[in-house]
Amino acid sequence: MKYFFRKLISMLLTLLAVSFIVFAAFAVIPGDAAVSRLGSNATEESVAALRAEMGLDRPFLERYLSWLGDCVKGDFGTSISYGMPVGQLILDKLPITLTMTVLSLILTVGLSVPIALLMCKYARSRFDRSMYGLNQFVMSIPAFFLGILLTWFFGMVLKWFRPGGYVSYKKDFGAFLGYLLLPAIAIAIPKCAMSVKLLRSAVLTEADKEYVRTAYSRGMSTMEVLYRHVLKNALIPLITFWGMTVADMIAGSIVVEQVFNIPGLGRILLTSISRRDYPVVEGIILLIAVVVLLVNFLVDILYRKVDPRLEDQG
Amino acid sequence: MKLLEVVDFGIEFHDHDRPEQVVEGVNFSLEQGGILGIVGESGSGKSMTALAIAGLLPRKKLKKEGHIYFEGKDVLRMDRTELRELQGDEICMIFQEPQSCLNPVMRIGPQVEEALRVHRKEMSAEERRARALERLRDVELTDAERVYDSYPHELSGGMRQRVMIAAAMVGSPHLLIADEPTTALDVTVQAQIIQLLKRLNEDEKLAILFISHDLSLIRQISHSVLVMQHGKLVESGPVERIFEDPQEEYTKNLIAAIPKVKL
Ligand SMILES: Nc1ncnc2c1ncn2[C@@H]1O[C@H](COP(=O)(O)OP(=O)(O)O)[C@@H](O)[C@H]1O
Ligand SMILES: [Mg+2]
Repeated sequence: MKYFFRKLISMLLTLLAVSFIVFAAFAVIPGDAAVSRLGSNATEESVAALRAEMGLDRPFLERYLSWLGDCVKGDFGTSISYGMPVGQLILDKLPITLTMTVLSLILTVGLSVPIALLMCKYARSRFDRSMYGLNQFVMSIPAFFLGILLTWFFGMVLKWFRPGGYVSYKKDFGAFLGYLLLPAIAIAIPKCAMSVKLLRSAVLTEADKEYVRTAYSRGMSTMEVLYRHVLKNALIPLITFWGMTVADMIAGSIVVEQVFNIPGLGRILLTSISRRDYPVVEGIILLIAVVVLLVNFLVDILYRKVDPRLEDQG
Repeated sequence: MKLLEVVDFGIEFHDHDRPEQVVEGVNFSLEQGGILGIVGESGSGKSMTALAIAGLLPRKKLKKEGHIYFEGKDVLRMDRTELRELQGDEICMIFQEPQSCLNPVMRIGPQVEEALRVHRKEMSAEERRARALERLRDVELTDAERVYDSYPHELSGGMRQRVMIAAAMVGSPHLLIADEPTTALDVTVQAQIIQLLKRLNEDEKLAILFISHDLSLIRQISHSVLVMQHGKLVESGPVERIFEDPQEEYTKNLIAAIPKVKL
């Protein structure tokens, strides 16, 4: 309990730091929301008037504190270019990116575990070696390029779907999932390859341990031994990796959403950056920070669940 | 028919440039309900011989010679399926380090029951649990329910080895192979484990292959003794004969080297 309390405090401090850095970044980088809204040939007077109206002429710290206070109350400001509350804008797009990330994570975990175990069952055989080589290769392909390949193959060659088409989750959830599947696969494949590599080596390390020999001495088959005994031990190092992967997948989705023309968080983040729509950018980055912190917290809980030896410690 | 009969048994490793003969021309047998002690300094091939009987030697990069007949059938010539039917059901094995032989992330109960889950598919989960608890009590773990729900790191070394014995005994095997089972334990616990093994041998007609480098332990527990050196059999015979009238120089030296306090 004390542990979780400590963890909570450190999470809140991290969030505070992130909020400050994000806010400060917009004060430092060149470009101005008022200028970008009015166009570069606006008069100086009109720009100054708009800056005053937007509150941009107040001192930095004052602006930061009032923004932070609003955020705590759940008010993230109003988007300059979309003209709607940032909270609502994000909430509208969040399910898209979140679904894609969850889908990618399920694919990554669900595929890497059986593949890695199969490779370990036939460790150092020709099958294992060729899979290993293939895996090294797949690991190095960026997700957006896989996205382009998948779109071309399934969309243009096989014509299984219409590239660029997208169905809102509000209209038809099934069709929405269908459209997200390919982008999720594009994100998952390199991550899956990385997981297979890590898991294979973790399993082979565990397989040399004596409890494995004991399991064999009870007449279990290799697959039984791998699934019942080795896997849970080998997953311990993978939990951290998958936790980091979630953060990575959210970042990756920004690019992949462009390739598949999906109107998720990544899309509005990119447009908002180019339009200097700072309330939106700040809101999305805060949200990503919250997600990353939550995932970290979850990883910690999961760690303690899987490895009973940790439970007794601080 | 002898329970176990080892004939001209040998092992040759092929995992380096030159083949390496680590066991050669070993012959011995073990009666139903007997206790055979194998003694020899470290590296003399005791563990390799034990693993071969339990069917746990790797299949690659080594050559097995001779025959190991268990209840009349040659373990060395069985396929994997036949072997698995014996393992955990008829032949069980315990090792030196009970700490590393238990899965650290699995509770004790499921590990003790494992041989039943593999071999007695007809048993229900409750029956398995009841049997496991009974076995935990048999190995003198009084707080069996608590042990059942514990993780390995929560138990002492002696308790862990008792758990290993309970897990081995859960399916009432005919042969228990114990490879240095007390070497990692302190002296009082060591004596308790020896007593426990002797009791199981008498109560359940369990045959035991007891391996140790410690002659005084071998003398306490064995009915007959086998002395090994450099992978070869030095001499074998009933325990009294070996200790009172050793024939070979090597055996005489071993016996002379036993600290007097222990005898
Ligand atoms: N993979 C291997 N390759 C070659 N020699 C090995 C291998 N594993 C064990 N040995 C050798 O086999 C011999 C017998 O070992 P072991 O049966 O463990 O001895 P003991 O149990 O009597 O101490 C040792 O000399 C050891 O060096
Ligand atoms: Mg040994």
